[in-house]
Amino acid sequence: MGKKDACRSQGKTRRQRDLRRRALPALAQAGPVSLWMILFVTLPMLYIIYISFMCRGVCGDVVCEFTTESYATLLDPTYFKVILKSMKVAAFTTVACLVLGYPFAYYIARKPADKAARLIMLIMIPFWTNSLMRLNSWLLLFQTSGPVNNFLQWAGLTDKPIMFVYTDPLVMLGLVTNMLPFAVLPLYSSIEKLQNSLLEASSDLGATPRETFFRITLPLTFPGIFSAVILVFIPSLGIYTVSDMLGGGKVLYIGNIIKNQFGAIRNWPLGAALSVLLLVITGLLIFLYTRFAKLEDMEVV
Amino acid sequence: MKRFLALFLAMLMALSLVACGGGGDTQDAGDTGDDTQGAEETASTELNIYMWQQYISDQLVKDFEEANNCTVNISYMSDNADAVTKLTSGGGEEYDLIMTCDAYMESLIAGGYVEKLDLTQVPNSSNINTAYWSAPEYSVPYLGNYIYVVYNTETCPIEITCYNDLIDPALKGQISSIDGARNLFPIALIALGYDPNSEVESEIAEAYEWLVKYNENVVAYGAAEQNLTNGTASVALTYDGNASWAMSELGENNTLAVAPFTDDAVQLGFDLYVMPTGAKHADLAYKFLDYICDPEAMAKNLEEFPYFCPNDAAVAAAPESYRNDPSKNFDYKENVFFQEDVGDALTIYNDYYQKLKVGE
Repeated sequence: MGKKDACRSQGKTRRQRDLRRRALPALAQAGPVSLWMILFVTLPMLYIIYISFMCRGVCGDVVCEFTTESYATLLDPTYFKVILKSMKVAAFTTVACLVLGYPFAYYIARKPADKAARLIMLIMIPFWTNSLMRLNSWLLLFQTSGPVNNFLQWAGLTDKPIMFVYTDPLVMLGLVTNMLPFAVLPLYSSIEKLQNSLLEASSDLGATPRETFFRITLPLTFPGIFSAVILVFIPSLGIYTVSDMLGGGKVLYIGNIIKNQFGAIRNWPLGAALSVLLLVITGLLIFLYTRFAKLEDMEVV
Repeated sequence: MKRFLALFLAMLMALSLVACGGGGDTQDAGDTGDDTQGAEETASTELNIYMWQQYISDQLVKDFEEANNCTVNISYMSDNADAVTKLTSGGGEEYDLIMTCDAYMESLIAGGYVEKLDLTQVPNSSNINTAYWSAPEYSVPYLGNYIYVVYNTETCPIEITCYNDLIDPALKGQISSIDGARNLFPIALIALGYDPNSEVESEIAEAYEWLVKYNENVVAYGAAEQNLTNGTASVALTYDGNASWAMSELGENNTLAVAPFTDDAVQLGFDLYVMPTGAKHADLAYKFLDYICDPEAMAKNLEEFPYFCPNDAAVAAAPESYRNDPSKNFDYKENVFFQEDVGDALTIYNDYYQKLKVGE
C-alpha cells in the first residue's frame, strides 16, 4: 500500500468516525420521525408504484408480472381530458378560496389575539363533523323541495323550483367550503407575521393604502399564499366525494377515476398508475414552490 | 457518554415499537387459535358475515343470535367488487359467509374460491324456487332485485313503455339512474336489439352511443329514492326495493308507478350467500343459511326489506303490505334477463363506461 493510499484511508476512517459521531445523535432525534414517515408514507407510496407496474388478473386481482401497460393506457386522450378537467376545477377552487380567504385572513390577523382565536375557531367548527355530513346537508338545503327552494317560492322570486342539486355551481360550492380553512390558516399565519411598522413606514413615505397593499403586504405574504395554493390545489385535485354526491356522479374527475379503478372496475395497476401521475403532479408543484420560496416558509402550515 | 445515551434512546425507541407489534400479533394468534378450537370441538359462538348494508333486518339477526347463543358480526361492502376481492384474497380467514351476485358465480367456482355446500344441513332451502337458483351447489339465494323503470304519473312528460323511450329528449334532466357498467349497458343492448350480455365490441360500442343520449337525460346516478320523493326526478331506473321505499314514503300521495313495459326484458339479479373456502365457523353458517330460508323469519324480514324474494313459502307468509306492494305491481315479472359472466369483455365494458362518464 502506497503512502498516499494510507493517508487517504486514514482520512477516510477519521471522516467515518466524525460521521458516526454526528450521525448517531441525529439518528436518535430524527429516527422515530423517519421511521414513522417510512412506515406510513414511503412504504405505501413504494407499494403503489410497485403495483402500477403489475398486470391485472382476470378476476381483477393483481398479478406479479412486470409491465408498463398501465402507463401506456394513461396516454389515452380520455385520461388527458379528465386530468385537464380536474386541474381546471382544482384551479378554480384554489382561486375562489384565495379570493374569499385572503380578505378574511387579513381581517382576522388585524384583530387582537383573543378575538382572532375565536374567529379561527369559527372556521374550524364545521370540521368537527364528517365531510359527508356537510355535503349531505348542502343537498338537503338545496334539493327541489328543500328550504332554499321553498323560501324562494314563498318570496315569489320563482314560481317553479330551481334545480340546484347536481349542477356544477353546487359542486363548486361544496369544494370551496370544504377547502376554505386550508387557505385561511396559512394566509392568516403569514399575514399575522407582517410587521405593522413596515406598513407605517410605507404610508409615511407617501404610499397610498392600495400601493402599500400591492407593494408591501402582498409580496411579504407570498409564502402564505403559495402554501394556501398548494394546500388547496392538491387535495381538490384528488377529492371525489364532492362530485360524487353534489354532482350526482355524472361528472368524473381524476379522483373518481382512481376510486373506480380500485373499486367497481377493479383495475388496481391502472389506479396505481393514475395515483403515481397525481404524485408526480404534486411533486412538481412542491418543486416549483421551493423555487419560489424557501421551504421553511411552508412551516406556516 | 452522550453517544451512548443517544444509542440507548434509539434502541429503547426501536424496542418499544417492536414490542407493540409483537404484542398485537400474539393476541391475534390467540384469538384465531380459540376460534379453530371452537369449530373443531363444540359449536361455534361467532359468525362473520360480509354483505350489503341496509339489507337484513336487525331483528332477524338478533333472533338468530338468541336462538343459537352466538354473536353475529356483519361487515358491509360498498360494491360487488369488494366481495369478489374478499373472496379471491382468502376470505375464509375473516368471514364465514360472503354475499355476492349471480354474475360472478361462474368464475368464483372455477377459481375454487367458494366451498361446496352441504344442503342437507339447510333443510329450509327446499322453499326456494329453483328457477331463481343459479348455482345450488355453491350458494343460497337471499333476495333479488329487479332493475326496472318507475315514473311519476303526474310529472313525467311522456309514456314509457320501452327502454328507447328513456332517450327521448323530452326527458332531459329527468332520470335518476342506477350506476355501474354492468347495469347500464344491458339496457342499451336490449334497446338496440342485442344480447344484454354481449361480448361483441361493435355492439358494446353502439350501446355506448345509445348511453351517451341516455346520459343527457340523467340528472343523477344513485339516490333514486330521494330524487323521486323530492321531485328532482320524474323517472328512475332503479331497484324494486328502492322503488318500494319511495312509494311507501309518499304513502297516500303516491303518484309513482312501475312503467308499463311491453316487450323489453328487465334485469333480475340475485344476491347469494356463499361460503368462502376455508370458512372457520361452517356449522353456524349452515344454521344461519337455514334460518334465512325459514318462511316465518324471511317473511318478517321482507316487511322491512321489500325486495324480490325467491323463497315462495316466505312470500306466501309475508304480510299484506308486501304482497300488495305497488312496486311489485307489474305484469312482466317473467320477462327478465340475468347478468352473466362476460369474461374478458368486461374490460371493453369498463373502458366504454369510463368514456361515458368522462364525457365531452
